[in-house]
Amino acid sequence: MFSTRAFIKKNKVGNYLKNIREHYIRDDIFCGLESCKSCEVLDTSLTGGFNNKNNLFKFNHYIILDTNIILDQIDILEEDVFGNVIILHTVLKEVKHRSLPVYKRLMSIIENPTRHFYIFTNDHHKDTYINQEKGELINDFNDRCIRKACTWYMKHMPNEKFVLITDDRGNRNTARNEKIKTCTITDYVKNLENSKHLQDKLARKDFHTVVDSDDFYPPHLPTVDIIQGIKDGSLHQGTFRASTSNFLEASVNVDEFEEPVIVQGRAGLNRAVDGDFVAIKILSKDEWISPSDIILEDESVTEGVDEVLEKEKVLKKTQKKANAQPTGMVVGIVRRKWRQYCGILQPSNMDGLFHLFVPADRKIPKVRIETRQAEFLRTQKIIVAIDTWPRHSRYPTGHFVRALGKIGDQATENEVVLLEHDVPHSKFSEEVLSFLPKLPWTIKEGDIAARVDLRGLDICSVDPPGCTDIDDALHCREIEDDKLEVGVHIADVSHFIRPGNALDIEASNRATTVYLVNNRIDMVPVLLSSNLCSLRGGEERFAFSCVWIMDKEANILETRFHKSIIKSKKAMTYEEAQMVIDDKHQVHSIAQSLRNLNSLAKILKRGRLDKGALVLASPEVKILMDSETHDPISVEAKKLFETNSMVEEFMLLANISVAQKILKEFPECALLRRHPTPPPNNFDPLVKAGNHLGFAIKIDSGKNLAASLDEAIREDNPFLNTMLRILATRCMMQAVYFSSGMYQKDEYFHYGLAVPLYTHFTSPIRRYADIIVHRLLAVAIGADCTYPDLLDKHKSTDLCKNLNYRNRMAQYAGRASVAFNTHLFFRGKLQDEEGYVLFVKKNALQILIPKYGLECTLYISEEGKTSPFTYDEDHQTQTAGDIVLHAFDPVIVRLTLDSKNIQHEKFILQLVKPHIEGFSIAPLTEMETKHKLTEIESGKKNKKQKKS
Amino acid sequence: MALCEAEKTFILHSVEENFRIDGRQRGDYRPMELETNIVAPSFGSARLRLANTDVLVSVKLEIDSPTLEQPKLGKIEFFVDCSANATPDFEGRGGDNLATEISNCLSSAYKSSTAFDAGKLCILKGSKCWKLYVDILLLECGGNLYDAVSLAVKAALWDTRIPLVKSVVVDGNKVDMEVSDELFDCERLDVTGAPIMVTVCKIGDQCIVDPTTAEEHCSGGSVVVAVSKSNFSTILQTGGGSLHPMTLLESLKLGQTVAQRLDSTLINTLKQINDNSTDVGFLK
Repeated sequence: MFSTRAFIKKNKVGNYLKNIREHYIRDDIFCGLESCKSCEVLDTSLTGGFNNKNNLFKFNHYIILDTNIILDQIDILEEDVFGNVIILHTVLKEVKHRSLPVYKRLMSIIENPTRHFYIFTNDHHKDTYINQEKGELINDFNDRCIRKACTWYMKHMPNEKFVLITDDRGNRNTARNEKIKTCTITDYVKNLENSKHLQDKLARKDFHTVVDSDDFYPPHLPTVDIIQGIKDGSLHQGTFRASTSNFLEASVNVDEFEEPVIVQGRAGLNRAVDGDFVAIKILSKDEWISPSDIILEDESVTEGVDEVLEKEKVLKKTQKKANAQPTGMVVGIVRRKWRQYCGILQPSNMDGLFHLFVPADRKIPKVRIETRQAEFLRTQKIIVAIDTWPRHSRYPTGHFVRALGKIGDQATENEVVLLEHDVPHSKFSEEVLSFLPKLPWTIKEGDIAARVDLRGLDICSVDPPGCTDIDDALHCREIEDDKLEVGVHIADVSHFIRPGNALDIEASNRATTVYLVNNRIDMVPVLLSSNLCSLRGGEERFAFSCVWIMDKEANILETRFHKSIIKSKKAMTYEEAQMVIDDKHQVHSIAQSLRNLNSLAKILKRGRLDKGALVLASPEVKILMDSETHDPISVEAKKLFETNSMVEEFMLLANISVAQKILKEFPECALLRRHPTPPPNNFDPLVKAGNHLGFAIKIDSGKNLAASLDEAIREDNPFLNTMLRILATRCMMQAVYFSSGMYQKDEYFHYGLAVPLYTHFTSPIRRYADIIVHRLLAVAIGADCTYPDLLDKHKSTDLCKNLNYRNRMAQYAGRASVAFNTHLFFRGKLQDEEGYVLFVKKNALQILIPKYGLECTLYISEEGKTSPFTYDEDHQTQTAGDIVLHAFDPVIVRLTLDSKNIQHEKFILQLVKPHIEGFSIAPLTEMETKHKLTEIESGKKNKKQKKS
Repeated sequence: MALCEAEKTFILHSVEENFRIDGRQRGDYRPMELETNIVAPSFGSARLRLANTDVLVSVKLEIDSPTLEQPKLGKIEFFVDCSANATPDFEGRGGDNLATEISNCLSSAYKSSTAFDAGKLCILKGSKCWKLYVDILLLECGGNLYDAVSLAVKAALWDTRIPLVKSVVVDGNKVDMEVSDELFDCERLDVTGAPIMVTVCKIGDQCIVDPTTAEEHCSGGSVVVAVSKSNFSTILQTGGGSLHPMTLLESLKLGQTVAQRLDSTLINTLKQINDNSTDVGFLK
């Protein structure tokens, strides 16, 4: 049997076609119940062995879910509490149509046999198929399909009981009339045995509650009006970006205006949350304002609205018309971008079930959640999802998803960092692991034949201490009088990760290994990253080699690429390698080759700098951890050896050589890395700072910039040059991966390195881009075969997008982790530190403390107090008496950590030197420091005693 | 078809006697079969079988802009395809002339606003209108093509459902429109006035309607009249020979009455077609 379904669809040209879909109706679709005699049971998860226990229905029953339950309450469904659930195909289709993420989550539940979910294809079953009636809305039709399936089940299996769970009141009533047992999800979960805690996870969507309270927000326009408005130009759409400093202000980037459009106040923001795609109305020009320069924090602890109204008044007062920017108000939400948010419960005395949740991200409003375990949750970092934001509610309503762990714990904070930066960090799935090579792994004859055997060469690797994912190794030997053979050997990850399998897909999604202070989130499973691919000393490993013949002046005479087998003689740290080079007594072959490499690297580096490569600086610190307690024991700036730069030079050279090779072979689809030239106005802060100090910073080309940075040296302040370089770093654009077919040749340029072509080849264990480059190179030299996606420039552009996003996020996550651990380190400490003024602001000095890589604000004028300083805007100085503070001046500041707000701990600075009467404080004496430290020590001891 | 003199005389006599070779009277029609909505992907379709004449009509919709002269009117266009299956005469380009003749005749018959209200097809004055493409496929020729075609076209137009336009947005010169994707949200065309064509054939001194192929061969001349309700919308003389003014008048009168009779029968039949009849497919 079959039926047809017809609908009208617009085609590309703009014409309307009638589409006909044949819809087959079958008599061989089975109910899926084990106990059924009339149906063949092929493969079903529904089982008599599982019982749903619920006080509402005191008998064993099967559950049928309505679409709204799945869409709204997927968090509950993921809990392992009820099984024997029948998912109707009608429902599944609608879920897929409405929300793909929820669909994926549902499918993973269904695929898990221990959950006992079953899909019943009701819309193809001969007895449950129905036709949509004329004038019937699609929702009503779907509800009718669901009820039809319920009644069919009841008739088909009279001995079993079925319960329909739906939150749609109309559907429930109709179902009752048809004698179907039904209830809401709230009632159902409430009456579940032993699952009371689940109530917190129920999403709050009170569709039908009528609230008497006044509406707090203006209504959103209906979708039709929004679409119409956007079409006729009366409305604009853009991404809503909340301000970090003022909770009543946000900006919306709209194509039609160059500047972001400001939205302000409760009515202006109108329930938009950071990231949402919103529709805005532009106010008339005389209502335009400039962005506010005051800081407003949402300090209310209750749901009262008075505070907001108060703050709104404050905001109104400070509104300025000068430099007015386009101003508008949010009139509707085109697309919500709600995700799950990390944060804590607001500490308050609020009783009852409702509590406020404060997200870690300041841009997200507080969320009202219902919980019965507030006491416990107050000590935890938790995840909350927003469900809805009704007009009458001051805050959006959400539900508790899960607790991450105790506030301030390292593990918890790591989890928060990973979640907030969207880093995929779940364990590798069974499917992914199934593509790993089986242990014990041995090198086969065929592999040896296909590769160049370099096991006899003196190859060694140089890496930071404690590195387990060694992806590069080097060698250098003299072959003729004036000629050196230099080889860079990179772990052959693409040998193990074959395109298209689950391992590959997972790696391409993760895109990069993320390094946190005490944790590493691997891109590939640890068997590969720390064992089979890691070029450990003394073990035979597969490598992808790039070998040059060079003369002693580091001119490349010949370049070869091939796959090889190597046996690294030694895995060294930078420090060890440096010692070997410096120790004149060591004359063995490794020492020789290291020395050769080192001298070549120096030549290469000089050549590079002459071409205009920038030496940039950013304060990088290393946090030493106590191996047992995992508490940070010291924070220090990273030490750099000559060998660091040696390895770096050869990696750069390898990357450049590979970039040239793959671009030559694949002009359309080579994966390269570009670093765009920054627009001139990016350099404004740098140029200004230079001018104040009397240095002319030329920015017209990278070469001139490098030269003028080199010249900016002052004898009395050796750190000044570094400061300028730090500033210069901040003027740069992000370097990005791209597919060569998508850009013009002159755009391939890498500004920072001053090379026309660049790519990433040397770290395939921790970067996915390198794996792709390996594959391209392998194809180019005939060592591997190609596959379609590799050569599709659109596919690889999509891939690049993901890589760039993940890289950026990994970087942020790494920084956030360092920041947290620095905080941890400073907890309860009091220290005087050397710092430098980075910027001079009207009411504050931005201070950089290079020892810890910290950048903090020293407020010099507090509200209500007269400041001893006078601000000179033209020269960017602050003067107090005869002391003038310029940018980049050295200062000594006292550092303490303010832990009053456990969510946002911040450093408080006090000026120690230069001494300004009435403002600065006396330096710490030895005594005080000791006293403070012993206090901490004793505190620790106490703790330990308690433990024992 | 080739007929010998004896056969021709026989036919002539039978018309004279008002007892035609297949037993009909002069004003009688042969039995017809009508099916609608048989080409699912088109917006309206019909198949008409009149004895051995078989015609399939399907209606397609497109968005177009109205002509400058008639900014308020939609468009309708007819295409006739004489398939070589119908008769060997259509092989190659053999049917082209006939096809043009029929489509021209239909175009002129549907031109009058009383016959067919093209204003209904206008979406936005001067910029958007529906254009109906009426495709006529001759599957078999058993005489009396005009009548069969006109009946089938009318039935197909009756069957046509025009999607409802939900919104039309004008942005400068650009016009964007949104159309409902539900088939339930469609409007039928009003085709009560659509013209019916009747071929009146003069054989000997008498006029007959619905001639068979053999009868057409014996005809001295024939007139096609297109009648919309009670008005003539087009008159066309086909075939060789000439008509006496008196005969012309007579044939017009005959044509008109027959057309009205046909029209009412057709509309009654169409009304009987049940909307909710379940689909019957090939698999059943």
